[in-house]
Parts: sequence; C-alpha cells; structure tokens
Amino acid sequence: MAAPMRRAWLGLLRAAVPAARSYHAPPPRRKSGGVYRPDPDDPLTPVWQLQPAYEAKLYGRYGSASGVDPARLWPSPGKLQELEAEEREWFPGLREMEAALDKKEREEERQRVEREKLIATNMAKMPQMIEDWRREKAARKEKEREDKARRERLLAEAQERFGHKMDYRSARFQELVEEMEKKQRKELKLKKKQLKEEAKKKAAAADPEPVPVLAEAAEPA
Amino acid sequence: MAAASRGGGGPKALELLRALPRVSLVNLRPNPGSKKSEKRRGRGRHGGKKSGRGHKGERQRGNRPRLGFEGGQTPFYLVIPKYGFNEGHSRRHQYHPLSLQKLQYLIDLGRVDPTQPIDLTQLTNARGVTIQPLKRDYGVQLVEKGADIFSAKVNIEVQMASELAIAAIEKNGGVITTGFYDPRSLEILCKPVPFFLRGQPIPKRMLPPEDLVRYYTDARNRGYLADPSNIPEARLELAKKYGYVLPDISKDELFQMLSTRKDPRQIFFGLAPGWVVNMSEKKILKPTDERLLRYYSS
Repeated sequence: MAAPMRRAWLGLLRAAVPAARSYHAPPPRRKSGGVYRPDPDDPLTPVWQLQPAYEAKLYGRYGSASGVDPARLWPSPGKLQELEAEEREWFPGLREMEAALDKKEREEERQRVEREKLIATNMAKMPQMIEDWRREKAARKEKEREDKARRERLLAEAQERFGHKMDYRSARFQELVEEMEKKQRKELKLKKKQLKEEAKKKAAAADPEPVPVLAEAAEPA
Repeated sequence: MAAASRGGGGPKALELLRALPRVSLVNLRPNPGSKKSEKRRGRGRHGGKKSGRGHKGERQRGNRPRLGFEGGQTPFYLVIPKYGFNEGHSRRHQYHPLSLQKLQYLIDLGRVDPTQPIDLTQLTNARGVTIQPLKRDYGVQLVEKGADIFSAKVNIEVQMASELAIAAIEKNGGVITTGFYDPRSLEILCKPVPFFLRGQPIPKRMLPPEDLVRYYTDARNRGYLADPSNIPEARLELAKKYGYVLPDISKDELFQMLSTRKDPRQIFFGLAPGWVVNMSEKKILKPTDERLLRYYSS
C-alpha cells in the first residue's frame, strides 16, 4: 500500500520539478591552433587522413569551419549505385522473405502430412501383420514339437536296436535315420505304384459292372 | 540543506561542508583497498631464484597451451562426436535482460524520462543497460521480473518482450513495440554522439533476418513490422487474457507521445535516414538529390 502512495506523492512532486535530468553529451575537447587540415603533399601525412571518411569526420568536428563541402558527405552517384546493387543482392525485401517463409512452411506441412499418411496406412496394416506373425509363430512351434517327438521316437527305436542310448548327432544314429528314411521312401514308392496299378485296373474295368469286387480282390495283395 | 533546516547538525556542519575542498579530478582517488599493487617477481632477497614458479617449461614461462590441447594429438573434445546443442553458439543473437523492476527503478530515480518515448538511446544514456554490438548483442529483452510493482506509463521500444511484460506495460496505459536493429544501426543508436561526430549520414535500418521476420510481423509480439491495424485487437486480447481493463490511450494527455512510432527504416525518433547531424553547429543537413532520397526512403 505504501509504495503506490509514495509514488503518488512523487508524481505530485514531479509536476513541480522536471521529472528526469536529460542527458548531455560532454562537449568535444578543444584543441588550440584552429582546424587541422592534412597536407596531401606532405609525405609524412598518414594515408587515412586523405580519405573521404576523414573529411567527413573533420566536418562533424568543426562544421563549416573545416572547409569541407557538405555535399561530399553523402555517397557519390557511383558509390550509390554500388550500394543499391549490394542491397539488391544481399538484402531481400520483407515481402520476398515472407514469401520464402510461406513456401518453406508449406513444404514442411506437406512433408508432415505425407509422413502422417504413411504412418496411418502402415498402422492400418498392423493388426493383420500381428495376426500373421502369431500364426507363423504357432506353426513354427508346432513343427518344432513334431520334430522333437519324431527324434525321440527314432532315438527310442535306435536304443531298441543297439541296446544303448544314443546321441542324435552321432554318425551311427544319422546312418540309421537315413536307412530308415530310405526304407520309408521305398515303401512309399511301392504304395504309389500299387495305387497306380489299381487305377489302371479300374479304368480297364470301367465297362463291366463288378469293378469294386475286383478292386477288393486286388487289395489284399 | 535539509540538515540545516532541521537543526540536527547545526550551522557548524554546513560551514565545515563549505570549507572542505570540492570534489574534483585532482582529489578523486580509488577507494582504499580497491586497488592492489602489482606483484613484482624476483625483487629484493628473492632475486636470482625461480620466483616460486618451479623449474623450466611452460609452467615457469606461463605460456601454457589452451584448455583441452593435448600436445598435438587429436584432443578428446574433438574425438567424440557430439550432438549440436551448442551449434553456432558464437553467432547467436544475445539480448540483455531488462526487467520491469529495473525500468521502474530508472524512472523513479529520474534517470529515464517517461514523458518521452524510451528506446535504447535513453536506456544506455541512463546507464540502465550496456550494449556491445561487436559482442553479438542485438539489444534488450523486457523480462517479467517486477511486473507486479510496475506502475509507469511509458512508450518503450525494446527488441524482445515476454507476454507478461507486454501486459504489465499496457495495463498501466503504456505502449510497447519490439523492433530489430542490425548491428550497425544498434551501434549508432547506443552511441549517437560519436556517430554524429563522424559526420556521416544516418543510414537506414536493415530488415530483420529471415528467421526473425515471423516474430516482428506478429502483432501479439507488438512487432514493428506488424500491421498497425491488428495491434489494438491484440492489445484487447491480451487484456482479456490477463483480466485487466485496457486504458484508453486516445483520451490520454500524453497521447501524442504514446502514439509516437518509428518507421521500420528509422533509427532515431525524429531523425530520418539520410540526414547528417552536425553537433558543433547544431544543424541538420538533409539530402536533396533525387537518387539519394529514393535510396534512403526505400
């Protein structure tokens, strides 16, 4: 409460006396001997004192007493053209910059939308992919289990035959397995052959009625 | 004066004060204890030895290589690739914080005059901030500290301002603008007198770089490139957001001052680009050439 009240009092005071002391730059140092003008003919005159920037400085320091033509304070037509060319090349206008920004933002927006679309389509595929993966996994597991069971059966068979436990990686066991497989294949072939013959017979006896009987008779062989 | 009128110190103290020498350059000296005399090595009975710096080498001669240098082998800080958090840190714009508390302090002490528009010239002349454009300073940012005690009506121009700081200024009936100054204009704005002594025409202020265009064209930031017709709307919106009644500045006695705004190409209040200010003759020279006028007004 106190601070605003004090400030209010200060405000009243301020109305009477000037509120702020304005800033005054210290005057430039006085040099005796009038205005110094560099002598272009003197070889000891530094080069920088013979350039237009120094002339301008003299004018800024002494005003018209320096004897500098004020028209030379501004860039000459050639220099002005250079300045304009530089500005055109390096400093784009506000509208141009805004247009460039708009373009950039549009491009970013487009990329973002595209990416989101891609993500959405892929996410839509996701449940199907997960389902497929689950099924594959189950199938793989099933196959593994079958393999294991078969191997155990074979191992048991081998144990029966050789009378001792065997390692499934041993050469003898592998031989045995191959042999059994060969046997199986042979059986399978035989069976196929029989089936074919049967089919032939069937075709041959397509006209006569008692084909099933014949087939039955052939089967026990 | 106050002591004399109260009679506590009496006229004696006043006399003593009058008799004492005035403070001037001849009797000013640093505070006792503030300066330490430089250490001079190897003097007196310590001569001829190593002066406490050990035996030979960089350690004795004090020419140690820079931090992280490993004698020529690829140093550790370059071996490990790192993420670019500090990418371009040496080129980033720096904005000195100026809190509302400090601004209030400057106004209360009479160092800043609130009856005139305030920009960086006023703030630097009041020694409120120090701007070094060569050290990548780009001006000041108005920060929120002291938003609750701020009670001055000002027309201030800063380079960046937080939303609450804008609200605090506008709640008191003030006006705030954020404006960009390129380093050259900033140097001129902060040190006008050395510039005027150079006798050069005031250049035009450059536009902000592309990454700042969005900031300064936004009326919510009170940007100087924003459409002026959008600003009253933004002021109202902010007042609604922070829940204060926006004072009507058009009926204010200081309306003229409060509505003063710089042109986007203008550096000083009241001085157009292309003018030459001569301090010794108290004169302003204006160009008359068509091409010059066109260049400086574009």
